[in-house]
Amino acid sequence: MTSRRQLQTIGLVAAIGALVVLSVVPHLASATDTQRWAQALYIGIAAMGLNLLTGYNGQVSIGHGAFFGVGAYTTGLLMHQHDWQFLPTLLVSAPLCFVIGVLIGFPALRVKGLYLALVTLGLAVVFPDLTKHYVHVTGGTNLVALNRTELAPPAWVPTWLSSIGRDDQWAYYVTFALAVVLVVATYLMVRSRFGRALIAVRDHEAAAETVGINAARVKVMAFALSALYAGVAGSCAVLVDHLANADKVQTFQLSIKFLVAVVIGGTATVIGPLVGAGVVVSLQWIISDVLPKRVSSIGVLERTLGNPAASPAIFGILLILFVFVLPDGIVGGVRRFWGRLTSGRSGAPPTAPAPLTT
Amino acid sequence: MDHVSRQRRRASWRCLRVFALCTVIALVAAACGSSRRNDTTGTTGGNGTTPGGAPQNVVPTADCPAGQDTVGVSGDTITLGTSLPESGQYAPFIAILKGERSYFEYLNAQGGVEVPKGSGKKYKIKLVDKDDAYDAARTVTNVNSLITDTKVFSLLNVVGTKNNLGARDTVNSECVPDLLIASGAVQWGNMKFPWMLGSELVPYPLEMRVFVDYLKKNKPNAKIAVLKASDDFGQSYSDTLQELVKGTNLSIVQTTGYDPESSDVKAQVTSLAATKADAFVIGAALLACPSALNAMGDAGWKPIVYMSGTCVSKLLLSAAGKNADGLLTVTPLIDPSDPANASKPAMQLYTQQVKKYSDADVTDGIVAYGWTTAALMAKILESSPKLDRASVMETARTLTDVKGVGLQLADSTWNTSAQDWFIGETFQLVTYDSTAAHTKALGPITDLDGKTAELSPPALLRQ
Repeated sequence: MTSRRQLQTIGLVAAIGALVVLSVVPHLASATDTQRWAQALYIGIAAMGLNLLTGYNGQVSIGHGAFFGVGAYTTGLLMHQHDWQFLPTLLVSAPLCFVIGVLIGFPALRVKGLYLALVTLGLAVVFPDLTKHYVHVTGGTNLVALNRTELAPPAWVPTWLSSIGRDDQWAYYVTFALAVVLVVATYLMVRSRFGRALIAVRDHEAAAETVGINAARVKVMAFALSALYAGVAGSCAVLVDHLANADKVQTFQLSIKFLVAVVIGGTATVIGPLVGAGVVVSLQWIISDVLPKRVSSIGVLERTLGNPAASPAIFGILLILFVFVLPDGIVGGVRRFWGRLTSGRSGAPPTAPAPLTT
Repeated sequence: MDHVSRQRRRASWRCLRVFALCTVIALVAAACGSSRRNDTTGTTGGNGTTPGGAPQNVVPTADCPAGQDTVGVSGDTITLGTSLPESGQYAPFIAILKGERSYFEYLNAQGGVEVPKGSGKKYKIKLVDKDDAYDAARTVTNVNSLITDTKVFSLLNVVGTKNNLGARDTVNSECVPDLLIASGAVQWGNMKFPWMLGSELVPYPLEMRVFVDYLKKNKPNAKIAVLKASDDFGQSYSDTLQELVKGTNLSIVQTTGYDPESSDVKAQVTSLAATKADAFVIGAALLACPSALNAMGDAGWKPIVYMSGTCVSKLLLSAAGKNADGLLTVTPLIDPSDPANASKPAMQLYTQQVKKYSDADVTDGIVAYGWTTAALMAKILESSPKLDRASVMETARTLTDVKGVGLQLADSTWNTSAQDWFIGETFQLVTYDSTAAHTKALGPITDLDGKTAELSPPALLRQ
């Protein structure tokens, strides 16, 4: 019991520490690094949503890049063509993604596991085609590029928030604030009646129904909520990356990135997906930006590690290693490690990772 | 215990509700209080002449940030930046970088580029590259980083249409030259954005113009079948072709799109082959080109083939083998894989230097393109009266009769002016000989200088 209390205290201290560090980042880092942090945050938001669906509810989706895209295009088009401010666009993009999530969630009730993964993959494949067909904006393409004026923070924002550098700080703080809001929301949600229903349906659908849980409703809600998170992430991405864009390869890669962030950070943990997103973004940055420069003068390494064409392979190998060493993700691993330390002996068996599918 | 948990649950519900309420209030407040700061309207370009008719700078500088004009020049070094796919599906484009690097290494070994020419002041060129995997979002990040962190003087040959469109506002409001963009799209003719200029690649609509002229002469009643990538790139081919066949005896029998992220076009080509059309236009990129040619051969269809100039590469054409024989395409450069060119001094210099400074395949047209683009950049720099961003951009926009740059065709000249925003408008129609494995010139050089804008779909020039 003490170890649990200690763990909670440590968790609290770590959370406050993380909050402090994350809130001063844009004042210390360069504009490019701030943008990179903000990217980690929005990928984390989408991963948190996917975690509700996959980690807590056991439904696998590899199509959340499409919901992300819906959010991004909604915000991008409203800001670019209708001169909206960023925050009000969330009032449109989030509910829109929620509704689309409900619409997709209903047919998803019929399919499970790998079949569901395939159906959602279809979403990621179809979405870029839809944008190519209906969106003709920057230079007549499906790209929606925003200019500095459109991305500027609204007049009521205190200047110290956005005074240094380009308006990257505003983008960062908005994403950061939304991430904090959604972490708290997730925390409360998974501890609520609804959260327990999510887990019950994941672990044993039939048993859950016998105790009065409407499994269909819970599953559809999980889908819709996770779509909402992905939509909010997409909206933030417009502010951070200055554009909304959809290509088949990228929409698919994004969907996978969300899933990877969930698995690396820890499935069915509140903070795990954010940690995972941080790791994914840093790894990619190290592999494709830092490493090639470091090894540029070392002959053999330059042609292997330093070769940008090798970066996806290095990333893949690291992922495999991660899953082998920390099968329950970083957050799960830290918990396990702490449990071993405080129990005084190494006899405590590791907790099994939360199952991905039912 | 049960009682406690229920209490806790109630408390958490209350928390959730309060929190939800706060969020909604905050959002509504934001929505109500939001009136966009309408202080600027973005950069607007000049049209080259004042109302009085007196010539004026092509590149307006009134809205440019002050004191940024010579950023990227320090001591005797000019720093340039580029972003291109070095990983992923489009990684073969890294050959461009190898060509560029070889040229700059060669130039630096000579002491560098003299700016302005005749001043005796020489600068070495440093090219900083960043990988974007052909993802427009990463290109924008890279461009921002190159401008703010690396502090480059100018961008050079950033690859891709959407990739450059994504950075369009940044380069134009920061007044950083986005020079020699690696895309033949017509969007670089949008007069609202004067800080961008396409490279010597042949603008896509001109390719159709030269092919239609060829058909009018050789098969005036031809029925044409079109394969196009389902994006703006493929659209520029099919739109211009449609315009050009109007009022001729030529006709388009079928246009079929394919997904630009895949290179499997067999089904589309088989359906096009069923039309037994006399001519076949391949508005495709990279691997889709040989794949289309092979599907055509498999179907036993033998039309007159026109293939996009972006596919002119030894690698791609040899993948189609015999099926590529006799196809037509265009190129602004001499073919490095043609042994007949080996004796030309420009070719000898290129072969020798690229072999010296890189591991690239010198017979690859993509390497030759990189080499030539770098040479054109050096030419623009040395022609500039002063070494600042505005002068260099102005120089790039007012090129007169540029000849003999890199592997530029012997009789071609490159021009730009206040009305003419494209470089690669003089080029050679060529046919591919699969036995000899290189292209052969067909007739004289085509000179369509200043014609791109009128042949372009107007919507693409304005948006």
